[in-house]
Amino acid sequence: MLKIIVVVLSLLVALPGYALDGAALLKQIDRNLSPESFEMYRKLINVEPDGKKKEFTLYSVKKGTEKIAALFLAPASEKGRSTLRLGENMWLYIPNVGKPIRITSLQSVIGGVFNNSDILQLDYSAEYDVEKVEEKGGEYLLYLKAKTKTVAYDRLKIWADKGKLLPTKIECLTEANMLIKTLYFKDHKDFGEGLVRPSVIETDSPLFKGYKSIMIYAKIKKRIFKDEVFTLTFMANLDSLR
Amino acid sequence: MKRYLCLVILLVLTIFFPAMGTAEDTYKFDLSETEKKPFHFGGYIEFKPILFGLDRDSAFYKLRFFNDPQGQTLPEANGRVQLEGSYEKDIYRLFVKTNTDLKYSDPSGSSEHSVFYEAYGSLKPSTSLKIDAGKKTLKWGKGYAWNPAAFVDRPKDPDEPEQAMEGFIVGTMDYIRSFDGPLKTLSFTPVILPVYDHINDEFGNSNKLNFAGRFYFLLYDTDIDLMFLTGGSRSDRYGVDFSRNITTNFEIHGEYAYIRNARKNILDAMGSMRSTESDAQSYLIGIRHLTTFDLTTIAEYYHNGAGISDDERGNFFALVDRAYNLYQTTGQASALNSAKNLADGGYGKPNSGKDYLYVRFSQKEPFNLLYFTPSLTWMMNLDDRSSSLTPELLYTGFTNCELRFKTAFLVGGKGTEFGEKQNDYRMELRIGYYF
Repeated sequence: MLKIIVVVLSLLVALPGYALDGAALLKQIDRNLSPESFEMYRKLINVEPDGKKKEFTLYSVKKGTEKIAALFLAPASEKGRSTLRLGENMWLYIPNVGKPIRITSLQSVIGGVFNNSDILQLDYSAEYDVEKVEEKGGEYLLYLKAKTKTVAYDRLKIWADKGKLLPTKIECLTEANMLIKTLYFKDHKDFGEGLVRPSVIETDSPLFKGYKSIMIYAKIKKRIFKDEVFTLTFMANLDSLR
Repeated sequence: MKRYLCLVILLVLTIFFPAMGTAEDTYKFDLSETEKKPFHFGGYIEFKPILFGLDRDSAFYKLRFFNDPQGQTLPEANGRVQLEGSYEKDIYRLFVKTNTDLKYSDPSGSSEHSVFYEAYGSLKPSTSLKIDAGKKTLKWGKGYAWNPAAFVDRPKDPDEPEQAMEGFIVGTMDYIRSFDGPLKTLSFTPVILPVYDHINDEFGNSNKLNFAGRFYFLLYDTDIDLMFLTGGSRSDRYGVDFSRNITTNFEIHGEYAYIRNARKNILDAMGSMRSTESDAQSYLIGIRHLTTFDLTTIAEYYHNGAGISDDERGNFFALVDRAYNLYQTTGQASALNSAKNLADGGYGKPNSGKDYLYVRFSQKEPFNLLYFTPSLTWMMNLDDRSSSLTPELLYTGFTNCELRFKTAFLVGGKGTEFGEKQNDYRMELRIGYYF
């Protein structure tokens, strides 16, 4: 009898977890972070252990689930560089080099803790499947596994606020669950058109002890671009969209 | 005096440590930084002292210094100023980029050379169409060190493959279409390149209107270009290139060029020159690989179908030796001057041989040293087995400033391409500042 009671109680406790549709939850988190197609400005700051900083300003455009491009506006040494991502393909255009070259998601065009896939982030639901969802107090904890081997991080653990359905922390892990970096989402801000989301993402990594990188968001606006914007030939002309 | 010293120290700290602060600072994003202005002005200045370690037995040393012998080393000071500006209004844009090279060395004195790298106007009626007219660099091809299919570009310097280059006066446009399916992108870039007196006259035969074009496809996640050039200033040529990621961290690329009736000046063993014409094929195959610990490897094999053979190069060096001996015994420099003309015409140009291998390793931020990238580049002439080895240290930690220390060691026996160059080694420091 006691065994039956324990089994029934266990099922009752577990049921809310099974009732959660992880995929739908992740899609909602994606939409709460940004519209599907938009433009935005970001500042990236690399902070060294001695406090020395290096800053980059980027203009980014995204369309759908697999197209995103970013243009460096500052500093002067990086101005005019642009990066393009079409699904698993990534390119870097350097004005002096004059033609796009293929890059990989794990590289970093700016140095520091953020790599190219962090800068050219697609929707999480486009790259990851939800393995399970747990409830931790006021937060959901989503366990994500990459859909393909080409995704930068094999696994993600996303802590998301239950009420706002926005991430508060993301751990990026290898297949063997080794921590590569942690992203902390901070400072909620109203960007207009109903978009309220964290305006600052801080990251640190056990691979870069003492270093951290910060991404500050501004002017996130829904905007639909033509597909031709997300092509190698257009990379040199991204500034004309501003 | 102390006040001036303090001001200088303050200025240096402002330039090199502009964003010094503590990690606990509040992070701010001033939105005025995102405002777009119709005018843009920027540039780059560079100071580059070089020390050449001379090889006084080499052919190119004899050609340059036969009447002005040097010591073991030769210092040289170089400077570069690049200015660029643009004005954009609606669908119109003007862009200008200038380059000034300054050089000072003891035997040659000082020199200055200024040129417009680019100066063109653009019309952009839609995201699918852009029309440019003026001086412009096009930079075709997928190779890192060489681009045999870059039909409307100046030759790239494999020692400095990422440097800005001077363009040609062209009329060109980009037409882009995107699709769903295996073919994701198609673009077409036609080019008109006139060659007349004072217009692109270094491109080839004068009084010709040349046509070139490039079709680009992103097909099955592979970049593919087809290109052509015709018109008479240079012999007709057709090319194809591709680039594809085999895995996320492993890229493969290649280029192929078929050149009809390629002209070539051949030097025989007696020192007589004759001109030949025959079809030539040049190609390149390369890889780019990134390890999990951020070591990037670039490796390329290049076959230059119209290049100088090992025997032809040997004939040239024998000619220089004979001319130098004649000068030493009689004081006559005419034969050496003829050899100098041959060197300028092709025998002295970088990578003028037939088969080369290029390997570059660069390690990003080793030992967690942010913005520090050491690299090692090895280039070999596969026909005569001579080579150059170039270690390099790059630091970009100061905002807008680039510090690069580079050395090059040339290895090769007598009669080989790298063995007969003017230097045994070269050391250079490059301090660059962007504004």
